[in-house]
Amino acid sequence: MPDLVIDGRPTTVPDGSTILDAARSLGIEIPTLCYSKGIAAGTSCYVCAVRVDDGENLVPSCATQVRDGMTVDATGDAVVEARRMALELLLSDHIGDCVGPCETICPAHMDIPRMVREIADGDMTAAIRTVKAHIPLPAVLGRICPAPCEKGCRRGTHDEAVSIMLLKRAVADADLAMEQPFQPACLSESGKRVAIIGSGPAGLSAAYYLSQRGHACTIYDEHDKPGGKLLDGVSRELLPLPVLEAEIAVISSLGVEFRLGERVEATAFAGLRQEFDAVLIAAGELPDDIRSAWDVTCSAKGINVDSQSAETSLAGVFAAGDVVRSVRRAVNAVAAGRGAALAICRSLGTDVQAELSFNSTIGKLKPGEAEEFMPEAAPHGRVEAVADGDGLTGPDAQRESRRCLHCDCRAADDCGLRIYAEKLGAKQRRFRPTERSLFRQIRQHASVVYEPGKCIKCGLCTRITETRGEELGLSFVGRGFDVHVGVPFSDALSAALTKTAEECVSTCPTGALAALGGQNQC
Amino acid sequence: MSEHIDITPVDAIVAEIGRDPQFVIPILQAIQAHYRYLPQAALRRVCEISEITPSAVTGVSTFYSQFRHQPVGDHMVHVCVGTACHVKGAERVHDAIRRELGLEEGQDTDSAGRFTVQKVACLGCCTLAPVVQIDDVTYGHVSPDCVDRILLDFLSREKDDNRKRRTDGERAAAVDLGEIRIGLGSCCVASGSGDVRDALEDAVAEIAPDVQVKRVGCVGMCHRTPLLEVVKAGEDPALYARIGAEDVRDIVLNHFQPDSLLGRLKVGAGRWLETLYTDETWEPVTRYAIDVRDPPVAAFLGRQRHLATECCGVLDPTDLDEYRESNGYAALARGLTELTPEQVIGEVLKSGLRGRGGAGFPTGRKWTFVREAKGTPKYIVCNGDEGDPGAFMDRMLLESYPYRVLEGMALAAYAVGANEGVLYIRAEYPLAVRRVQEALLRCEEEGLLGDDILGTGFSLHLRIMEGAGAFVCGEETALLASIEGKRGMPRLRPPFPAEKGLWGQPTLVNNCETYALVPWVLREGGESFAAMGTERSTGTKVFSLAGKIARGGLIEVPMGITLREIVEDVGGGIAEGRQLKAVQVGGPSGGCVPEALADTPVDYEALISVGAMMGSGGLVVLDETDCIVDIARYFLTFTQEQSCGKCTFCRIGTRRMLDILERLCEGGGKPADLVALEDLAVTIKRGSLCGLGKTAPNPVLSTLKYFREEYDAHVEGRCPAGSCSALIRYGITDACIGCTRCAQQCPTDAIAFTPYERHRVNDEACVRCGACKTVCPQNAVIITSGGKRVEWDQEPADAKGNAHA
Repeated sequence: MPDLVIDGRPTTVPDGSTILDAARSLGIEIPTLCYSKGIAAGTSCYVCAVRVDDGENLVPSCATQVRDGMTVDATGDAVVEARRMALELLLSDHIGDCVGPCETICPAHMDIPRMVREIADGDMTAAIRTVKAHIPLPAVLGRICPAPCEKGCRRGTHDEAVSIMLLKRAVADADLAMEQPFQPACLSESGKRVAIIGSGPAGLSAAYYLSQRGHACTIYDEHDKPGGKLLDGVSRELLPLPVLEAEIAVISSLGVEFRLGERVEATAFAGLRQEFDAVLIAAGELPDDIRSAWDVTCSAKGINVDSQSAETSLAGVFAAGDVVRSVRRAVNAVAAGRGAALAICRSLGTDVQAELSFNSTIGKLKPGEAEEFMPEAAPHGRVEAVADGDGLTGPDAQRESRRCLHCDCRAADDCGLRIYAEKLGAKQRRFRPTERSLFRQIRQHASVVYEPGKCIKCGLCTRITETRGEELGLSFVGRGFDVHVGVPFSDALSAALTKTAEECVSTCPTGALAALGGQNQC
Repeated sequence: MSEHIDITPVDAIVAEIGRDPQFVIPILQAIQAHYRYLPQAALRRVCEISEITPSAVTGVSTFYSQFRHQPVGDHMVHVCVGTACHVKGAERVHDAIRRELGLEEGQDTDSAGRFTVQKVACLGCCTLAPVVQIDDVTYGHVSPDCVDRILLDFLSREKDDNRKRRTDGERAAAVDLGEIRIGLGSCCVASGSGDVRDALEDAVAEIAPDVQVKRVGCVGMCHRTPLLEVVKAGEDPALYARIGAEDVRDIVLNHFQPDSLLGRLKVGAGRWLETLYTDETWEPVTRYAIDVRDPPVAAFLGRQRHLATECCGVLDPTDLDEYRESNGYAALARGLTELTPEQVIGEVLKSGLRGRGGAGFPTGRKWTFVREAKGTPKYIVCNGDEGDPGAFMDRMLLESYPYRVLEGMALAAYAVGANEGVLYIRAEYPLAVRRVQEALLRCEEEGLLGDDILGTGFSLHLRIMEGAGAFVCGEETALLASIEGKRGMPRLRPPFPAEKGLWGQPTLVNNCETYALVPWVLREGGESFAAMGTERSTGTKVFSLAGKIARGGLIEVPMGITLREIVEDVGGGIAEGRQLKAVQVGGPSGGCVPEALADTPVDYEALISVGAMMGSGGLVVLDETDCIVDIARYFLTFTQEQSCGKCTFCRIGTRRMLDILERLCEGGGKPADLVALEDLAVTIKRGSLCGLGKTAPNPVLSTLKYFREEYDAHVEGRCPAGSCSALIRYGITDACIGCTRCAQQCPTDAIAFTPYERHRVNDEACVRCGACKTVCPQNAVIITSGGKRVEWDQEPADAKGNAHA
């Protein structure tokens, strides 16, 4: 039973233990990608590297056996930096988008691909839940949004972008047409109160998300009707009043109080700070005199806020939307309102689950790459609305949704590479390649899709097929930088994975081998 | 395209070699020897009739670069891109051959299907650089403007294939009238000693049939090959260098007279006629008779100490009797009969011998580990997978002294308790494989290998395994994986092979040169060995000296000699009167030692302290026309191609380093690239799994340290050495006399034919091959970079000895 010291903590472990085993027994977290318990260690990724006995060299903890008297540095700066570099190198050769470019470009980061797949499945209830997780005014935005998402749509490289905005509108309109439109689940009352100045898209959005977390919101607006710029900034033809009113009604139904016709001057502002646990300024573009009346620090662009906490120079006072920086785009205001709401929740001590923000991107597609995605998508062109200004009917929306390429990663939520890249702050572009490899998608298997560009060459799948006695199995092909996992004799993937498909997919540390079908289809 | 091939030979191949998975590499080699590539139908057949799995066949056949999956042309053109060839313009030769054959990008076989052009890492003929090999014919000193003649020469030889081919068989021993020795190392063969020997045998048969023609191994003076030495009783030995087949008659006649008057007349007439015909030979050969007492020769040989290469230039490589007469097998006899294994190890420990493969681990200690390791059987392995581009010591030792390597292995096997072993030899060294094979057979016949060696009861069975083209197999764990028939992937150490090696058994892995030194150590004693060299680096080291050196070759020098002494005394200084810029020591694992540090001694620790390492022993000398960034890029290209692809740092990290170096050489580098380059280099060195990756950054780290300003210049778009083609321009000065030679030489018509007028270079058409500069009699062709004329090109036009117009 060797004794060793990891990060200054002594421990005794059974003979034959690895450093990784020893560290885990102490609760010290060491990331791993190419290691999977029960399968011979490949020592390829080096994300589990540690330093031993104060040496400069890094050793893979997954396969290095402990020695009596060993001292291990498992979390020091040099070790973490090396792990980060290993991740950054893997990412520099990672040809895949974690999330679809539509979602990345959408200022509200709505999970568009999921919504589209839910529409394709005919599950509009799931679709509205997905939409409203990020956008509380989809029927409004489905009519007036400039739809930057569609400019990033990978389908556009092939023919025309998926009609995302109209799909969202179809989901929202269908929801509003229901007797009981979608109501998000709300936590019980927290006892905290938030004052929101401004009832435009930012303020409404903030109120919607704050209310869901149990905070009581009061919206102040000098106008008689809620809606801010949505009332007077857009044509009624484009955005009929009943649509706006219906969506505000849903927000109001969560218990939001509206104090309309009240202008918040200096004295009132001081009162709000006294009375409420937090104040959010979401009043849109304001004349300088009002802003200065609140005594917050401003620049020429607007009120200064901390980019992470959305807090202004005054404690407990937050700001979001055009009052911070004029963009004059409702979707940005909605996103800012939601962001500020989550920041306020955090400041009020509400637990907000962090969202994975790391995103690997392919960048611009090269000729032929869009076609790699096409086997899954409906080949027909864009389904147009009957007349300009109309939405898509249910069946048309479903047809249109099937044009989506599913370019977002099937493993986006459980990809080790993404999770550790986020944790260690890895940057995909630190080591830029002169030329990136091509995106490829291999679909020769009923339940598996293989994307070689996402493979980190850990060889877990090749070892699984070998030990489980696959007749053909998978093999490394080539060597060095160009090595890839392939099927012997270039036979079909279906012949290679006859009984190990599920195990290979679940063991693959990235989305290189992923299951077709399952959650949200495709 | 479906394959219509007859796969019946596959069954015979598998039946002969074996059905076990470990035989996959020899089976693939045999299949490729038969079909000239690996037809898929043949590979599928292998899986059907053997224990070899489809994934093993796929993994192995795509790992080793020797294997081809596509049919090739009638002839293989191998352009050597080893370090020595690289600095002498191999890239331009490669481009010229491709132009000559009209190959489009991505195409490697000409449309007629005659030639397939491939780059090879190193043919081990560094002193003849640049070298091109077409099938089994090697051409040395190739320049871009002579590739057309080489291809023609090859095709005409092929037509002439009916001419009698001689075997390596011996002539009956002659009386001691005299002996003519001819060098038959690869360099010699490459520079035409095969033809010389044919001519020699013809001449001797005609003029002096009783004189013996004897083949000897490498003399090390590769810069003067082919070499021929006449030894005659009562005369000083005469050494002739750089001879051609056409000179042989004259040389023989110079020393030996035909017996009869008729014979003399016949010879005389023949000589006159032949002179007429041979005047038109396409490349006149410079030749001299040299005397070993000539100062340069004395210097080349005088600073050397021949231990591993003992009796160099005297021994017939495969003549066992001769080897035994020159003290051969005295050490083994002593070891087996007088010493215990522990005493053998004790002698090696006393000698201070360290592994000559590069890392310099003390040999005696390694032997102790294997001896003390639990488990039988134990194995012994000779690492002859020399892959360093610019090094050919192992090749030379195996070709010229196969018995010495085998004797050393036998002693080592006795010491560690191994009775079975493998010599792993690069497939690119066919001559070495043949000679060792012959030596193995002879040793078994003579009871020097096999059962009951020298009647002592000790037995050792050795076999050869041919590598298949993977530099990483020089790493011991990768080498062992390769012997087991796997992809040559290194694995994590410990456990070291001494504990768990071949088939999981204790295994001793040493380099050829290490084994070759062992007989001397045992014969002369460890103390005599330790008396040579420095305190921690004892004995001698064999180097291949190449690059911009006057006298390149294979040298064996005592440790402790300085790099400057090697360059100046042994190598005769820099060729063409240029200045020493740096010595690249240790190839892709080593570093560039700048001129200012040239007094660094050859010593494991001293070399590491200046950022280089002993490596396998390649010394490539650089002058001021060599771009340091290009050299770093060259080595990274090599290591990057040779990375096995297992660990992240080496697989992707070296590629990103190469990306940066390529951007620098192409003019797209940014200051931030240098920061990233250094970050990568440091972490790859610390984090890679095996020696290949851990040392791959050395060429960059050492040049960043000593030649930072050259990197900075590249960021600014300048190549001070005038070497990086994207950063330089060719121009013609007023010194031009309009002789049109440049215009005639230009392969892309970038220079218009304008007699008696100053010529001009059309920069867009110019491919920077340098042919114009080579032929200009006025030195009017100049190279500029960043608007400035490059420094070494500054001398006035008449400095070359040509009068100004």
